[in-house]
Amino acid sequence: MTGGKKIPHFYWRRLCQIFCFVLFSFLFIKTDYSGADEIAYAVNLLFRIDPLLAATASLAARTFITLMLPALFTLLFTFVLGRFFCGWVCPLGALLDGGHRLVPPVGGKDGVYRNTKYYLLAFLLVAAWFGLPAAGYLDPFSILVRGLTLAVYPAFNALNTTFFTFTYQHGPDWLNSMTEPVYAFLKYTILPFDQKYYDLALLSLFILISVILLERVERRFFCRNLCPLGAMLAVTARFSLLRGIGGSKCGKCRNCREVCRMGAIDEERKISRSDCNLCLDCVAVCPGRKISFAFAGRSEARTPFNLSRRALVSAIGAGVILPFFLKGRSMAVNPDPFLIRPPGALPEDEFLGRCVRCGECMKVCIGNGLQPTFFEAGIEGLFSPKLRGRTGYCEFNCTLCGQVCPTGAIRKLALQEKQRTRIGHAWFDKNRCLPYASGIPCIVCEEHCPTPEKAIKFREAVVLDDNGTEVVLKQPYLVDSLCIGCGICETKCPLPGASAVRVTSAGESRDPDSIIPTTGGTGYLGG
Amino acid sequence: MDRREFLRQISLWSAGITLGVPGFRITGEAVAAERPEAVVSQATGKDYVALVTKVLDPLGGMGKFVRPGDKVVIKPNIGWDRNPEQAANTHPLIVKTLVEQALAAGAGEIKVFDRTCNEERRCYVNSGIKDALDRIKDKKVTYFHPDPRKFIPVDIKRGKAVSRLEIYKDALEADTYINVPIAKHHGLSRLTMGIKNSMGVLGGRRGNMHHDLGQKLADLATVIRPKLTVIDATRILLRNGPQGGDLDDVKVLDTLIASADPVAADAYTTTLFDLIPEDIESTVAAYKMGLGEMNLDAIRIISA
Ligand code: SF4
Ligand code: SF4
Repeated sequence: MTGGKKIPHFYWRRLCQIFCFVLFSFLFIKTDYSGADEIAYAVNLLFRIDPLLAATASLAARTFITLMLPALFTLLFTFVLGRFFCGWVCPLGALLDGGHRLVPPVGGKDGVYRNTKYYLLAFLLVAAWFGLPAAGYLDPFSILVRGLTLAVYPAFNALNTTFFTFTYQHGPDWLNSMTEPVYAFLKYTILPFDQKYYDLALLSLFILISVILLERVERRFFCRNLCPLGAMLAVTARFSLLRGIGGSKCGKCRNCREVCRMGAIDEERKISRSDCNLCLDCVAVCPGRKISFAFAGRSEARTPFNLSRRALVSAIGAGVILPFFLKGRSMAVNPDPFLIRPPGALPEDEFLGRCVRCGECMKVCIGNGLQPTFFEAGIEGLFSPKLRGRTGYCEFNCTLCGQVCPTGAIRKLALQEKQRTRIGHAWFDKNRCLPYASGIPCIVCEEHCPTPEKAIKFREAVVLDDNGTEVVLKQPYLVDSLCIGCGICETKCPLPGASAVRVTSAGESRDPDSIIPTTGGTGYLGG
Repeated sequence: MDRREFLRQISLWSAGITLGVPGFRITGEAVAAERPEAVVSQATGKDYVALVTKVLDPLGGMGKFVRPGDKVVIKPNIGWDRNPEQAANTHPLIVKTLVEQALAAGAGEIKVFDRTCNEERRCYVNSGIKDALDRIKDKKVTYFHPDPRKFIPVDIKRGKAVSRLEIYKDALEADTYINVPIAKHHGLSRLTMGIKNSMGVLGGRRGNMHHDLGQKLADLATVIRPKLTVIDATRILLRNGPQGGDLDDVKVLDTLIASADPVAADAYTTTLFDLIPEDIESTVAAYKMGLGEMNLDAIRIISA
């Protein structure tokens, strides 16, 4: 297939991988406020071309999520070209290929776990339908973007800042004249605007690193054995038009089998359409030039699937039954009051079904308010976003999270609508609040309350301070109907440790049952 | 301690050469000598570019405050993610015109910044100040978001309520510091004007300033001493300050107030809100510390 002078095919593949990785990184960095209220780039593109997430989110929502339409194209391309996506496009795959040399293999039995991914896929699809959303834990993009957002990117910034702070504070002028422009340039290009802090930073890093370390066992271990997206593409690729045609009568030569990162070539040098990710390395190493890729007739017999029926049934059974265990927990009737979802979030069940745990919303949140949940939303809610008012707040004029959410788990809200959406409600802890508890003037919370008519107001009161002296000061209180739960009061409260004003999910717009009592009655008696 | 020694300490500290915290003390005599004349100029007009010239003229124009080659800091209020009509931030045109006049007066470099309360980038954009400054195509003018590394602890030796504050290096080092607040309502201090606006050069946890705010602001004013204060009262926020958001809370006055005396500038501006200078704690505290004049009778008010 290759003429003597031609550039070997695998160079093109590498080039494509690098290109896709750079594009992906670019979109990752651009998932940020850009000076305009609207995000200009399709920063969530990666998630919208992911058919696994499209399928599980759609199953959970019981409707096809049109936002994720592009995922169909991925399947279409896979039908034509095979599992090229894994070899040419997937940024996690590129990372694994790139990092492979840093993780020397230990070797092991080949192909033992290969079918795992199919069972996982079956489980995820069925469980999605029955109400256990878990695709985000295994989806490669979710793992990657989450790991980068919550752990790698903030650490990268901290590293740079530490270094350049050191040179700035301790370096002589001539050094600073060199390092400061470099720092400015990095800030302008690849560093985040400011340092962000995240819950579960280490857990998400651990998951990402584990995926990389599995390279020790087998090349592309994750892709071969675990990736449910890979499984989905593999199922489609069984019918692909383009396929590798292996050699036969090769004698002792095993070059192609040795070089194949996916373990796709069997003893007879037949290339499995499900496993081959079209990296084309085999073409390059085959001394006899016996391997080629061609659009062959579809008559060719496919290797049987070889799935264990029992395992498959178990996976499906688990997908049906496990979700029902979620319904018997106390949190099903008493949700965690500190679980505050971003503005525009769908009602909790729907929200969890659609949220693919990609972390895009947490990446874009300029207030650093959105944080991944641990078990507050149950085991199935791990890594879904919540507002943690002490770390950061929801910026009154900002609508970015709804713009980047690839599945519509957070609806895109117009600014006016967003400013009226209550995500929760603030409460004063008068035992800690300075003007109440200590007779010390404060009301920083009132100052920052962003609603045009402030939800925090104050009354003047004469109190005794710690020395028994009478002082006149302003004591804050909340006007329930005005508070939207943005959390800036909790963020800015100057008390050390916990804030004296805290936001809970009470009153959130998305839940009609979450009504805050008013003097007008709760409705039980008044009808 | 004199200004030069103070600046020497700052540069040494920021270069990491000394661990001693720079200290700033002004003695009574120094205050008396430095104390500017209590003259306040006020002007009204719809053309804000002309208005800046008009209000500065009686004080001798910009050239009186900016000498050729000066390092100038112009410190507007860019604290909130609000647009100019909402009167939470200094009007962009006033900022731009002041920068242009400082350039015309021969400033060597002009820096514009504020440490914002809402997200920094949004504040600079939505206030219109980024856009206004982008239109000035001159390398001497820079605006930026404060770099956390450049806040320097300073001993406020005369401070009554605070003894140490973290202050932005550029503000300390400026030859000419021009304070350009907007006048507006504030829940705790009743009004924010010039002296309050200087909080924008502070690092650290600014919320702590709120306990005994008036005195702490006066303490800060012993160190951050603007050569010129221009108070933007083109529109003033009457309620729900300091960020407002409701146009019904805004009153358009088309007025600017300027003075070399920061206390006098605030004292006079207070009257626009139908209050008296004694109502504003920071004004009273600063006056008591000898930082300027607050008695309206003792202030010469020129309506330009
Ligand atoms: S809610 Fe956040 S984590 Fe979940 S899918 Fe949307 S953007 Fe991704
Ligand atoms: S900011 Fe905190 S301590 Fe201060 S008044 Fe508000 S709730 Fe109380």
